[in-house]
Amino acid sequence: MDPKALETEAQSAIAGAESPAELDEARIRYLGRKSELKQALRQVRDRESGMALNAVRESLEAAFAERERALRTAELEHVLAEESADVTLPGESIPRGHYHLLTQIRREVEDVFLGLGYEVVDGDEVEDTRHLFDALNMPLGHVTRSPLHTLFLNGDIVLRTETSASQIRVMESREPPVYMVSLGRVYRRDTADATHSPIFHQAEGLAVDRGITVADLKGTLLHFARALFGEEREVRFSTDFFPFTEPSLGMAVSCFICEGAGCRTCKFTGWIELLGSGLVDPNVLRNVGYDPEEVSGFAFGIGLERVAMLRHGVPDIRMFWENDLRFLGQF
Amino acid sequence: MRVPLNWLREYVAVDAPVEELADKLGTATCEVERIIRRGVADEDGNLGFYRVGLVLEAGKHPNADRLQLCRVDVGEGEPRQIVCGAWNFGAGATVAVALPGAVLPGGTRLEEAKLRGEVSRGMILSERELELGQDHTGILVLDEGPEPGTPLGDVFPLGEDVLEVETTPNRPDLLSVYGFAREVAALYRVDLSPLDLPRGQTPGPGQNEQVDVRVEDLEGCPRYIGRLFRDVRIGPSPPWLKARLVAGGMRPISNVVDVTNYVMQALGNPLHAFDLTKLGGERIVVRRAAPGETIRTLDGEVRHLEPSDLVIADASKPVALAGIMGSEDSEVDESTTSVLLEAANFEPIGILRSSERLGLRTEGSNRWEKGVDPYLAEPAANLASELIVDLSGARVTGETEVATELPERPVVAYRPQRADDLIGLSVEPNEQRQTLESLGFEVEAAADWQVTVPTWRARDVTREADVVEEVARFHLDEIPFTLPLRREMAGRLTREQRLRRLVEEVLLGCGCSEIYTSSLAASDPEAAAVRLPTPLTADQAVLRTTLLEGLVATAQRNLDAGNEGIRLFELARVYVPPADPRPDERWHVGAIVEGGLPRAKGTLETLLAALKVEPRFERTQEPFLHPGKAARLEGGWVGELHPERLEGNWGVFELDLPTVFARVPERLVYEDVITYPALRQDLAFAVAEDVAAGELVEAAREAAGPELRQMRPFDVYRGEQVGPGRKSIAFAVVYQSPERTLTDEDAAALRERIVKALAERFGAELRS
Repeated sequence: MDPKALETEAQSAIAGAESPAELDEARIRYLGRKSELKQALRQVRDRESGMALNAVRESLEAAFAERERALRTAELEHVLAEESADVTLPGESIPRGHYHLLTQIRREVEDVFLGLGYEVVDGDEVEDTRHLFDALNMPLGHVTRSPLHTLFLNGDIVLRTETSASQIRVMESREPPVYMVSLGRVYRRDTADATHSPIFHQAEGLAVDRGITVADLKGTLLHFARALFGEEREVRFSTDFFPFTEPSLGMAVSCFICEGAGCRTCKFTGWIELLGSGLVDPNVLRNVGYDPEEVSGFAFGIGLERVAMLRHGVPDIRMFWENDLRFLGQF
Repeated sequence: MRVPLNWLREYVAVDAPVEELADKLGTATCEVERIIRRGVADEDGNLGFYRVGLVLEAGKHPNADRLQLCRVDVGEGEPRQIVCGAWNFGAGATVAVALPGAVLPGGTRLEEAKLRGEVSRGMILSERELELGQDHTGILVLDEGPEPGTPLGDVFPLGEDVLEVETTPNRPDLLSVYGFAREVAALYRVDLSPLDLPRGQTPGPGQNEQVDVRVEDLEGCPRYIGRLFRDVRIGPSPPWLKARLVAGGMRPISNVVDVTNYVMQALGNPLHAFDLTKLGGERIVVRRAAPGETIRTLDGEVRHLEPSDLVIADASKPVALAGIMGSEDSEVDESTTSVLLEAANFEPIGILRSSERLGLRTEGSNRWEKGVDPYLAEPAANLASELIVDLSGARVTGETEVATELPERPVVAYRPQRADDLIGLSVEPNEQRQTLESLGFEVEAAADWQVTVPTWRARDVTREADVVEEVARFHLDEIPFTLPLRREMAGRLTREQRLRRLVEEVLLGCGCSEIYTSSLAASDPEAAAVRLPTPLTADQAVLRTTLLEGLVATAQRNLDAGNEGIRLFELARVYVPPADPRPDERWHVGAIVEGGLPRAKGTLETLLAALKVEPRFERTQEPFLHPGKAARLEGGWVGELHPERLEGNWGVFELDLPTVFARVPERLVYEDVITYPALRQDLAFAVAEDVAAGELVEAAREAAGPELRQMRPFDVYRGEQVGPGRKSIAFAVVYQSPERTLTDEDAAALRERIVKALAERFGAELRS
């Protein structure tokens, strides 16, 4: 036999195989146990013709392998081409829950102040008037102390009207410094409407240390306002009054809806009233046994619903309590 | 409170633009809610179209019975023909005229017009058209005097800018135009007109009619000045006074009443005018109400008084609720000729209590309850006297004053350096001093300053910190932005707070959405739950001890809204009695899911697995759960909601988080489940129907020991092959040892122990 002629014939059979089956047939014919080549190899006696035949065998084996890869690739491509999907169809539906919007804001506030080195304190909702009013420098005649404004459980036990009582409890329990925020439900004797709810949520902050100033209050709350409403926000402080702070300051944030151009949200002033704050009144410090000559502090309070309504355009405070999934699912 | 700027400028000469004024006051003094532009707009020469006119002729319109045809001199040489619908004037009347081109309040531009065939070249104005009041029954007839053609704005302000402000309760001095003038004077460092008002007309020597004023409660009423006026002629107030009252947000009534309101608005001291002849015994007694007394107040309501209410009485009955409202039957009316003017001072808390209890809040009570300067009564009486004499032609014929000693002005020791230390900004002592002095404080500067507080701030400023605020509020915009140095504190969440966040995260991952529901419920399954003695509404009466009701109600609401795939959870507090004195506030988590017990239990198990807490469930009974599908575990329960509670197949659970968190391991320790392979096999046992899978697993664990890593039920079969009253439970079983590779013989031995134990305890048969 002529090895060259055999190789040429076999190569053309390999190239001509159109399917793995045809290729297998060719393999049996040219490389099978009974193939001409294998028989010749078995009969070979001299080194030279052995090498020549082996070279043919190796060359054919390589050619078969390559052709097989090519055929398999082609076959896979064919199958894949058949399997093309409509990629605009939705994927498998995986149920996903949503944090209540107020939890999201609560966590944002917590995280801002955790980052500034504050603790998060869970104060009680049922408080006594000593912690809620007396220690916070609210005189007996103060309107908040009236049962028309506050829900009393009995003579001196009330549902807290603000989270501030937790400040008192923390300060009573230890020496300064204190850096804390306290968030949670507060209660007022209000009839529910679009902007009032008998229960709502407050975040309260307190920093008491040596040398705390109004400048520290301004810097901290600027950082806070930017964290909630965007880095490009500016803040503005104005004189206000709260019994537990002196001086007392209101803070407004530059309007993030109209960027100062004037809109309904900012009442065409470019500024939105956001929170109340001030330096802790020396009477409050004294009430918890701190010396106002040694330490000073600032405090602030903000309504979480107010933040949510402003930032997300929620039109009615009652939606937070209705928990319609069509509402919850948007946030 | 409304501050008309023309009025303000009577006391302080500042011509800064209104926006700037609002801005400065808004920072240093109180919130300025908005700037109101009242009356005739002062733009594009509009005021020039408003003139004083003299009616030369007036007669019936030839073609209309209801109209007058007038010729009016408006200072142009040639009179103008004007058609007018009012009949309350005739030739010779001095009137207010708007010429064509004038823009009226409200924005309409007046044009020359033909009315029923006659040209009208202007308009004779009524009060309402000028926004001076509601009266449009006739036109506004002016007092004689101003020449025809005089700009109307010279006679009274036609329009002005008004600041609407929201003052704080510590600043009763700001409930007056003069109070704002004082702030403006300090802000701009300009002079404030002094308040040394003339004493006004006094009774002639020896002619002082005694007014019988007795103050029985000097604590409630530390000062009472009564002034008596005779020959009073009640009538309307002049336009300038009406203009001011309207600009200040009040309604003109009659000259004497308007004067009391004007003085209140100007100076901040509410006044009251009585018709002397209507006072029994022509006497004033300031006392607490007697039990059972009533009064019909000016608003027509009969008020039932209590002995805590301070009243102004005559010889026999209350004639005013002190500081709040007068009575109908002592009111000044058109026929009044003798007026007793009250300029008093009342103690704030009593007024607040009475006004709250009676639900009656007035301009007067609003000021008294904040504490009016007792020194103010006299200047207020003087200003009012002058105006009453001026406007009603009256004579002052008597005066009397009853008072305790007026309080001393507080003197505060003050360190200017202390202000810098607290504010975080260096303010020169001299600058501090000027600010304080311009606000009426007196400063005696030694090493430490002695600051004497003005009477109108005596309640508010009593300590060094209060004086610091006076300095700080004038420099708020200059204070830099810094952060505290915070050398000794680090912040982090507590373990419980971190675990609560984890609970929320896991439930969110289980497809549940978080809800917030009310802590106050209509009722509670716990009979001893804390009740509010006077709830706002019946459905907010009890502090809840379970989250269940909120979950069910919210699921119902979502169901009604047509929402699908409802899975909800709440993480909130419950309030566990007894309240001794306060209830135990415990964090709970609860969930409600469509899909019955399996989904609720799966959700709960996922949550507990995340917390690394292994639960043990036992059958239980709860009235709100399906009787056959309810389980309890340590710190909670899970089950299928009783079908009567909500349509559909709902699963619910609730956990007491402190109980569960107590079982969360502090530290997780690595367990070797990798080095040696696990052996897996499925085992099925046939048992009686009442045997629970959990019991089998528990018994198997006991029998096999720790090398039984897992035994998880995956199928329950009932049918012919196991026979009636029995079921087959199939378990996926995993054996594994952390110390060696288990052999088939080991597995067989473990299996043998399990089979034997289950057979002995439950009669369980291994099925092949």
